[in-house]
Amino acid sequence: MKNIKRMLVIFLVAVFVLSACTPTATPTAADVAPVQPTDVPVQPTDVPAAVESPATEVVEEAPEEEGTCLVVGATYGGPINDAGYNLSMHEAVAAIKENIPCVEIIEAENVYDEAGAASTMENMISQGANMIFATAYAHQNPAFELSKKYPDVIFEHAGGWMMSGNFANIFGKPPDLWYMKGVAAGMMTETNKLGFVAAFPLAWTNVFVNAYTLGAQSVNPDVEVIVAYTFGWGDSAKEADTTNSLINQNVDVITMHVDSPQTVLSTAESRGVYSIGYQNLAAQQFAPEYWITGSGFTLGGKFTWLASTVIDKTWTPIFLRCGFEDGCMKLAPFGPAVPQAVIDKVAEVQAGLEAGDLLAFAGPIYDQDGVLRIAEGEVLTDDAMSTVDWLVKGVIGSPK
Amino acid sequence: MSLLALLGVLSSMIYSGTSLLYATIGEVVGQRAGIVNLGVEGVLLISAATGYGVTVTTGNPFIGVLAAILAGGLINLLFGFLVISRKANQLASGLAVMFFGVGLSALIGKPFVGQKINSLPRYMLPGLDDLPLRISSLFRFDLLIYLVIPITILVWWLLFRTKWGLGLRAVGENAETAFASGRNPNLVKFQALFVGGLLTGLGAAHLTLAFTMNWAEYMTGGRGFIAIALVIFAKWHPIRAIVGVLLFSGAVAFQLLLQVSGVRISPFILDMVPFILTLVVLVIWGGSSKHAAPATLGRVYQGTE
Amino acid sequence: MTQRADLLPKQSLTQNKFVQIIVRYGLMVILAFLLFAIILLITGNDPIISYRDLFKATFGSAYGFSEVITGMIPILLTALAVGLPARIGLINVGGEGQLYMGGICATFAALAFQDLPAILLLPLMIILGILGGAFWAFIAAYLRTRGLANETITTLLLNMIAPKIAGLLVFGFWHSPLETNMTPNFVSAARLPTLFNSRVHLGLLFGLVLLAVFWFVMKRTRWGLEMRTIGGNAQAARRNGIPISKYMIIVFCISGGIAGLAGMAQVSGYYGLLIPNFSPGWGYMGFLISWMSFGDPIGILIMSFVVSIILTGGNMLQITIGLPYAVINLLLAFTLFVVLAKPVLPKLRKGKSS
Repeated sequence: MKNIKRMLVIFLVAVFVLSACTPTATPTAADVAPVQPTDVPVQPTDVPAAVESPATEVVEEAPEEEGTCLVVGATYGGPINDAGYNLSMHEAVAAIKENIPCVEIIEAENVYDEAGAASTMENMISQGANMIFATAYAHQNPAFELSKKYPDVIFEHAGGWMMSGNFANIFGKPPDLWYMKGVAAGMMTETNKLGFVAAFPLAWTNVFVNAYTLGAQSVNPDVEVIVAYTFGWGDSAKEADTTNSLINQNVDVITMHVDSPQTVLSTAESRGVYSIGYQNLAAQQFAPEYWITGSGFTLGGKFTWLASTVIDKTWTPIFLRCGFEDGCMKLAPFGPAVPQAVIDKVAEVQAGLEAGDLLAFAGPIYDQDGVLRIAEGEVLTDDAMSTVDWLVKGVIGSPK
Repeated sequence: MSLLALLGVLSSMIYSGTSLLYATIGEVVGQRAGIVNLGVEGVLLISAATGYGVTVTTGNPFIGVLAAILAGGLINLLFGFLVISRKANQLASGLAVMFFGVGLSALIGKPFVGQKINSLPRYMLPGLDDLPLRISSLFRFDLLIYLVIPITILVWWLLFRTKWGLGLRAVGENAETAFASGRNPNLVKFQALFVGGLLTGLGAAHLTLAFTMNWAEYMTGGRGFIAIALVIFAKWHPIRAIVGVLLFSGAVAFQLLLQVSGVRISPFILDMVPFILTLVVLVIWGGSSKHAAPATLGRVYQGTE
Repeated sequence: MTQRADLLPKQSLTQNKFVQIIVRYGLMVILAFLLFAIILLITGNDPIISYRDLFKATFGSAYGFSEVITGMIPILLTALAVGLPARIGLINVGGEGQLYMGGICATFAALAFQDLPAILLLPLMIILGILGGAFWAFIAAYLRTRGLANETITTLLLNMIAPKIAGLLVFGFWHSPLETNMTPNFVSAARLPTLFNSRVHLGLLFGLVLLAVFWFVMKRTRWGLEMRTIGGNAQAARRNGIPISKYMIIVFCISGGIAGLAGMAQVSGYYGLLIPNFSPGWGYMGFLISWMSFGDPIGILIMSFVVSIILTGGNMLQITIGLPYAVINLLLAFTLFVVLAKPVLPKLRKGKSS
């Protein structure tokens, strides 16, 4: 018996050793092309003008060995079909390939932590990636460390603030859209209480809450915004609980900053409460009746442009923030319950923001404790936004 | 604190506590037979992913519930194979099942992330129709919520008023004696695990199909471990488990209430409260839990006493 | 229990215990890989290519191999932390929480004493890391010995509380002026040195030293023998006058201290800062490794290496075959299942070693 076992071991080991020794062809496009299991259903996106590329199609369009002009690696902090942030980022990355067919894309989703991010990105580089899009906020540090190690690879991080010779940053300008959403919410609310479900008290989140509040207060000075944290980017049970808690405080408009708006929207819808979406324009499907509006990232154009500059070797590190005026962000269509007056007002505000007459974060702005944070005549600049650890007056909830 | 807020806490307790209670009594059944399954988290995840996937595919949440229940039972049988047939260490096997669950559920659930489902229909608690919508919408419960207390009582009855339950508990106390009196301990343990798995699957079904109405990787967020803690807290008694679940989910709902009512306590501290509370109550109230444990329970209680 | 070497009969190679261990583990790992290959086949992937990628990523380059070693460090330490109390029948599932507390305490030192030279700061961080983990373990041990609460449940609850404490401290007090969700980068004096150009840090040394100490204590000292006695028969130990309560608390605290050291090593050597959820389950993996090895030091070394290969290589799989990263847990689970389902090979059953 022991002999048989021993032979089995030797046989199996031999099989593995032999397979490891097969001459490895240079990874063909089929090996490293954007790979999705082929049974992923095409995402239903009935949103006009959003850049769409259903995952399966990207697989089938593997380049025909003409020569790849660029290999792009992209890491996501969550699943790419979350109808939220990661879907938006995935769509933007996929847009690169749509617009520049000779580009190869390698993607890795659900890279939750920094440790995984570092080795994932390094693996991508070893597979030939010349450009890395680190789309999750938490990937900034590992990406930055890697950029020092691989000076020939270009790194773009979404939503951070670090910069170096081969490391740059790109993001939309959500605060403006949040301001507009706040305007809509401020006009739609009947109880003057708005709710905000947030994952963590990150600077970005605080900025969003503040912009939302300021927008609402601009049309309705008595409004209050209550913010509550779930401490997870995708803890759906907590999100449902938190949404309900907010509604039980007589909140009648709910919005969120978590990865996927799905649970919050469904829960609000089931309680008959208005909701405003974020992250991706596909979110509306979850709240057909009480949806007011939402916003999403549509960074496909900018990602494509960045990739093209890498191909042309004209890339320079830019702290890129583009708003809806550049097509990087979009306000979602309004829901059926929204009256024309609200739509008009929001359009008016949008025009003002676009023209630069109206600024979301123009001083004087006081925080919850009454401290003056932004003086009269001053404005909160884009790069200062990552330091915000306070909430404006009129917000209930504690960020620390 | 307005009436709405307080009623809201009650409603939240019921909603988030239901899946917890199912998982807890499922574990109680298993532990009463002497087996501790640390992998409840994994069982919940697999059942949830299966239930969700089936619901998306068939469009019918009830079939999804059945699928989740069945999945739970099957995974527990797998666990049973390890700890009963192969006599493996229960704690390690349980954690292995947890890892297995995380991986398998991710695989099963991947095509269904972000898909909308027809969730379980909700029915108003009778007699509340006249109340304003804001309040009455708190008490629109789905079938699994209405069933949770009756099923818990059923489990209690099974464990303490039937021959099968008697045998199960006998095996949990002393397998040799049970064997001598004509029972088959291994078969009984398998049965206990299967039933426990069915209940856990029911909890998972409620979590995805009625409460959160979505699927995301690792969406249980530690519920399985809390269930295990609550089993000990409840001294292995299904009815007492209700109290434990209410305590914990009540604490969660209450700390959320504090967060949203403007109390300037750090939300991080509030987030910790339910766990600290469970710990404190356990220490004060559950002191003699050691002696209430089924005598052959895992290896956890081996040692000096 | 020493034996005179010249009185031992010569053993053939196949009877050599070391070889047996390697063969046994090798078999199990291969079986696990075969099971996972089934999953790969079901999802339409070629297992041979996938495994080739996995091995290339881990063994195919110096970088890959260094990543495996880096990944091994925390789980080696947490496995040792679990193996120690297991010897007297105590189960410490609280490695995760103890690891966090160690990391937190070490961070405190790193942030509060930034001007100290490394020769003072690092030992201070080490001590605080150990104390943090030991304290967290002490809570559970104390409650257990006072008959107040079972240590399984207390450690599980404490595991869930510790990361939240990290969150509180980071967001509320320690966060860098530039980001709200992490501390500033540690000063270089607070960072464990790394080897060559890789991410392998000095924590490896801690692990190997502790491993050697563990082996030595268990097999060669009177104290180690006593612990095996307690593990075997509590009554006998009491009759011999060994104070059980005290032993349990001390052993549990040492165990927690080792886990805390793991936390310190990762915070200082790997990350260089503190973020709220920095552990992807290292405490639990250590528990599993310890049990898979039946508490045997050599087994712990081997299995932590194997687990690290799986986790590190799994990253590559995600990119090349497009399955969710979480699927690598399946390979890990299969390895565990295989090991747990085969407590055969009688010579190596727990308690009968040497």
